[in-house]
Amino acid sequence: MSVAENVQELNRQLARRINQEARSNPQSPYANKLVGIANGEVVVVSDDWDDLARRLRQIEPNPTNTFALEASRDYDEVHEIWELD
Amino acid sequence: MPREEWPLRHGRPCVQVVLASALGRQPFQRTLLADTGAGSLLSGFELILDKNDCLLCGGNPLHPVTLGGAYAGSFPTYLIPVQIPALGFAGNLRVVGVPSVSAAPFDGLACFSFLNRFHYGNFGNSSIFALES
Repeated sequence: MSVAENVQELNRQLARRINQEARSNPQSPYANKLVGIANGEVVVVSDDWDDLARRLRQIEPNPTNTFALEASRDYDEVHEIWELD
Repeated sequence: MPREEWPLRHGRPCVQVVLASALGRQPFQRTLLADTGAGSLLSGFELILDKNDCLLCGGNPLHPVTLGGAYAGSFPTYLIPVQIPALGFAGNLRVVGVPSVSAAPFDGLACFSFLNRFHYGNFGNSSIFALES
């Protein structure tokens, strides 16, 4: 696994842990927050996607080293997209 | 209120958005099917684009989402700066990246949660679709 892939996997693992924690504990500091991760660490917690994007890009300009999530969201929920004829 | 109008394309409503390029190139335009049936207000994404466009924009990766219907499975999602200059709109949107957009001749879908940011419809002209901010 390359360094970049390793960072991406670290970011994804941390995101999964944060979401599990936020979904199981409403008192979690991450519950219902937008969380920005860079290089395996939480670097931004925000309530606004524009604010999160601006701060995350300031901290880590390389997007492949970043990850973000809306903590407490059920990402397994299926969203239907209707088919064109 | 500023309004931007687009003629129907193949009889379907569309919107045009401007995406920034991460590679120092000129921003580029994409024409999207205006699809109120794509997702809901609570879906957590606003556009569906070709994954290559998401990467070209230098989108920040977000947690993947699960889709059903026209696109089925788990798809990567990105935070991407999107503009509609005539409306003065500029924001970072959550965009699902799919391997191939199956909505020709459109470049992607503008989902309900995006359209619902604006007043939308034909505003009395059956040959156009418009957004008003």
